[in-house]
Amino acid sequence: MNSPLESVALFYLGPVPITSAVVVTWIIMAVLVLGSMLLTRRLSVTPTARQAALEVFVETIDGQIRDTTGAAPAPYRAFVGTLFAFILVANWSSLIPGVEPPTAQLETDAALALLVFLSIIWFGVRGRGVGGYLKDFAAPNPVMIPLNIMQSITRVFSMFVRLFGNVMSGVFVIGIVASLAALFVPIPLMALELLTGLVQAYIFAILAIVFIAATVGENKPANDEAASGQSQ
Amino acid sequence: MNIDWWTLGLQAINVLILVWLLQHVFWRPVVAVIAKRRSDTQKLLDDAAQKRAQADATLAEMEKTRAGFAAERDAILAAAKSDGERIKAQALQAARAEAETLQKAARAAIARDTATAQKASADQAATLAVDIAKRLAARLAGPAVEAAFLGWLIDEIKALTPAERQAVADGTLDLISAQPLEPAGKTRIEKQIIAAFGTHPEITFRVDPDLIAGFELHSPHFLLRNSWQADLQRISKDLRDAA
Repeated sequence: MNSPLESVALFYLGPVPITSAVVVTWIIMAVLVLGSMLLTRRLSVTPTARQAALEVFVETIDGQIRDTTGAAPAPYRAFVGTLFAFILVANWSSLIPGVEPPTAQLETDAALALLVFLSIIWFGVRGRGVGGYLKDFAAPNPVMIPLNIMQSITRVFSMFVRLFGNVMSGVFVIGIVASLAALFVPIPLMALELLTGLVQAYIFAILAIVFIAATVGENKPANDEAASGQSQ
Repeated sequence: MNIDWWTLGLQAINVLILVWLLQHVFWRPVVAVIAKRRSDTQKLLDDAAQKRAQADATLAEMEKTRAGFAAERDAILAAAKSDGERIKAQALQAARAEAETLQKAARAAIARDTATAQKASADQAATLAVDIAKRLAARLAGPAVEAAFLGWLIDEIKALTPAERQAVADGTLDLISAQPLEPAGKTRIEKQIIAAFGTHPEITFRVDPDLIAGFELHSPHFLLRNSWQADLQRISKDLRDAA
């Protein structure tokens, strides 16, 4: 087992090293995109069981965004929902023998945290303007500017450390137990890892929307279906 | 611990691409179909509300029409009642007028019948009285009565104007008596009449038992009646006229 703190390149594309995390991410992307295309092939107003399940999933994501931000979910749905779906599938990919989940690699979690960091800035500037966004750092008074800057970095940093620590430790524990015990002994731990993966995906997505909502503040999009429809 | 910045950047780009792809192949189609269903459902609800409003309006219109029917029925009944009372009053008035006309006609008929009956009774009584008088006069016929009637005849001739007497004297006179006269009687009577006229008319004698008693002088332009028959006819006429 390699150290999770080290990335081993499988091959190189020019100067760019392609690690297993990147390859698995590509596979996950392909699965998600192709699966989505297959699942949304024949959507109709009268839903099938498959379509109803998809709609329940989307409505659940929308409900979580709406409950957390009090705003219309449309501007955040694709980003937060995709984060949740990717992290969940990535976490659960550890159940496939020989596959190391990308979220167990430091770079993947850091990249996710970086995207959340940038999205906070993006949504903040879009919602309140550059001045309004920057003025938020001087609240409640300019003395707090260094602390607010530090907080905006550390809260994102804590997100990726939490995700990385949980997933990496799960993978490690299962690997250690599997190397020491019989073939079926790690199964309860793998079941636990399913739950951990789901919870971590949920926490990451929820924290992302909480941070975005905190930045957007009062300039949230109106929480109605008309605004939601127009923002598609 | 080493961070592979290439991997970090690649993963960030990968996730951004995934966000973009899923936005187009998953989130947007599913949200669109949900929105379409909501829109259709809202449209159905709106249509249902509109139809319900239409149904309510139609119901209200029907209620109004039914109320109109009741009012119209009341108006028709009132008009029919009014017409009935008017026709009844007209019929009563017509019946009353007809009854009065009939009454008048009946009274007139009764009066006419009564008058006719009275007249018939009077005629009968007059006829009866004349018959009685005829029988009584017939029993009184005799020389004394004959002399009396002759005297009255002479008096009437004398009461004529000279011009009337002259006009009769130039013609022929029929002396009609109730009984056949003896030649002596004829001569005596002829003399008295000639004396009364003062001229010498030609006198022929005839007999008419219907005179009962008395004498009458007839000529083409002169008539002098002096008999029971003439008297009774005059009395009978007076009685009938009085009736």
